[in-house]
Amino acid sequence: MQRLPIARRTRPGGLAVAGALLTVLAMFFGVSGASAQVPSAPSNVEGKTFTIGTDTTFAPFEFRDSSGELVGIDMDIIRAVAKSQGFTVQIKSLGFAAALQALSSKQVDGVIAAMSITDERKKVYDFSDPYFDSGVQMAVAKDNTDIKGYADLKGKTVTAKTGSEGESFAQSIAGRYGFTVKPLDQSATMYELVKSGNAAAVFDDYPVLAYGVSQNNGLKTVTKKEAGGSYGFAVNKGQNAELMAAFNTGLAELKDNGQYQAILDKYLKSPQDTVSADSSFWALLVSSMPALLKGLQNTVVVTLISFAFAMLLGLFFGFLKVSHNIVSRGVATTFVNIFRGTPLLVQAFFFYFGLPQIIGQPVNIWVAGVLTLSLNSAAYVTEIVRGGIQSVDPGQLEASRSLGLGYGTSMRRVVVPQAFKIMTPALINQLVILLKDSSLLLAIGFAELLYQGQQIYSNNFRISETLLIVAAMYFIVIMILTKLSNIVDKRFNK
Amino acid sequence: MSEQAHPARPGENSGSTDPGSKISVRGLKKSFGTNEVLKGIDVEVADGEVVCVIGPSGSGKSTFLRCLNKLEDITAGSVLVGGIDLTEPKVDLNKVRQQIGMVFQHFNLFPHMTVLENITLAPVELKKQTKEQARQSGMDLLKRVGLEEKADARPASLSGGQKQRVAIARALAMNPGIMLFDEATSALDPEMVGEVLQVIRDLAAVGMTMVVVTHEMGFAREVADRVIFMADGVICEQGSPEEIFSHAQQSRLQDFLAKVL
Repeated sequence: MQRLPIARRTRPGGLAVAGALLTVLAMFFGVSGASAQVPSAPSNVEGKTFTIGTDTTFAPFEFRDSSGELVGIDMDIIRAVAKSQGFTVQIKSLGFAAALQALSSKQVDGVIAAMSITDERKKVYDFSDPYFDSGVQMAVAKDNTDIKGYADLKGKTVTAKTGSEGESFAQSIAGRYGFTVKPLDQSATMYELVKSGNAAAVFDDYPVLAYGVSQNNGLKTVTKKEAGGSYGFAVNKGQNAELMAAFNTGLAELKDNGQYQAILDKYLKSPQDTVSADSSFWALLVSSMPALLKGLQNTVVVTLISFAFAMLLGLFFGFLKVSHNIVSRGVATTFVNIFRGTPLLVQAFFFYFGLPQIIGQPVNIWVAGVLTLSLNSAAYVTEIVRGGIQSVDPGQLEASRSLGLGYGTSMRRVVVPQAFKIMTPALINQLVILLKDSSLLLAIGFAELLYQGQQIYSNNFRISETLLIVAAMYFIVIMILTKLSNIVDKRFNK
Repeated sequence: MSEQAHPARPGENSGSTDPGSKISVRGLKKSFGTNEVLKGIDVEVADGEVVCVIGPSGSGKSTFLRCLNKLEDITAGSVLVGGIDLTEPKVDLNKVRQQIGMVFQHFNLFPHMTVLENITLAPVELKKQTKEQARQSGMDLLKRVGLEEKADARPASLSGGQKQRVAIARALAMNPGIMLFDEATSALDPEMVGEVLQVIRDLAAVGMTMVVVTHEMGFAREVADRVIFMADGVICEQGSPEEIFSHAQQSRLQDFLAKVL
């Protein structure tokens, strides 16, 4: 997931100069195209509510602060615009790619997610006036006094994010200044590399670096930013024209009244060396706990609901699988093959992004999440049930049938109780797997535990500590769940 | 009884059923895939008759027995129990099976229930008795097999002989008119065979109609009204115990008896 926010900034072609040119052109057309819509009365949007999709976490544009509130430049701008134009916004934090898919499937009305305005995208979306000019900048370790410009990089190694504009810019000047570029996937790793001295500098998007520096991430910038792409707010092409017009009007107002600059300063201004917040592990634990507990609650609830459905479906299909009817067996086998034979993530994307296009209306994220987890898990439970029933001595069913009891009664009273005893350990196992698999729902923006963790560490850069806390929370909950299940097992299977 | 001791040979009186027969089997064939296990069996069992079926393993004895309550699908022929043709598609098998108790080689007691629950399951589920009635008659049955003190025990805590006696009590719970025994003592330690045979002997004494597949030649000789010798999916020879054990006609039966006696 870490790659998504950056990968989107890569333009096809990858040549920085050509790309920049294109962007300037794009900006020009974007501006003129959008401005043409400004005259349409903004009052059209007054009192309305629009759903806006955004990235899960891309500081400083959108991320959650320590209280779990979604903040950032994008968030502040869209909210300020909404306020000035008299409409309300409902923000959906989905992930970059997911937000665009949601826009296509009309689950959201618009997307604001630090998205570069490109020709490619303008074929599909209408963009607002640019609200942010990005660009690549270089940063070095805070205590590094040797490097004051690109010329000081001779013979050294620098780092940049794989596939990003930062990388292509660094590559483009590497020959001239005689340094080598070592691309990496994660921002945090890049910064660590620079701080530890293994890389002399990092090339990254200017707002990302500026925000990091403002958060005391141990780096500083020594050069000016290179001109780069501009970010715009997007709606589906030819749709929501009045929302777009209102955005442009509102943005112009913010720029005029200084609010716009205030927002940028809030996130990008260098630290005034005010005492940084308590950075102990304990402080992190305390400050992150409310958001993590909220995530944990969602994790547990979605797991339990999904497991209940998985059990019902699994029992149903499990019975079909052991029936003598070839059609029933075929139905059950097909079900298992489909949901065991495709990745959970594909299913999650399908239910959240694909299904709305088929049925023509949005699918609630809880519904999509429960559908994904329960159907996927039901496929495994089906096999557990089949295995459990088949491992009961066939003589048991024969004895019951020979007494004159029907098939249903025999299964219910004789076979299933014994099968359950055999199945219990496998079912407990499945429950644990289900709970862990629920973390994959972060890909569709479901606010479960790991998702909340990501939000936190992308904001404070304390990845390892945050992940340790998240892992410990999973571990504790799974231990409790396992213990409880074992107690239930002993009670009922005595 | 002596007429039944020489029942209809194939083809004879195939049109009608002896009204006195509890079980009437005509041209019964059973195949598993391409393997024909029963190759045409004709048998009549009269009310109150005790028929023992002997023969080498693989001769089809157990399959024959399992066809009598249709635990096995019947490939061809007919099986009439109490006048009801089991091969009729519309027949209510559950109803017919309530009239036929069956005892298995490996007991097949329900391990998750107590001894008494094993016995009362069918009467209660089938609403033949209230819980209290079923409990009462279950205790009576346990008394009959000498295990009333084991009513609340789990099957796992019983010896093989005790398990089989419980299984017999369970098979009797629906008050069946017919009892089928499928090598009921084969899985038992030798010292426990006697107690199980005694229970079967007692049933014979009160006039229960029984078909007993057994390897206990002495028991067959003592209890049976008629002994059937099966080999290779057909009935080779049948007659009174005296005829079978002392005056065997066919060499196959003579060879078999020479090995087991």
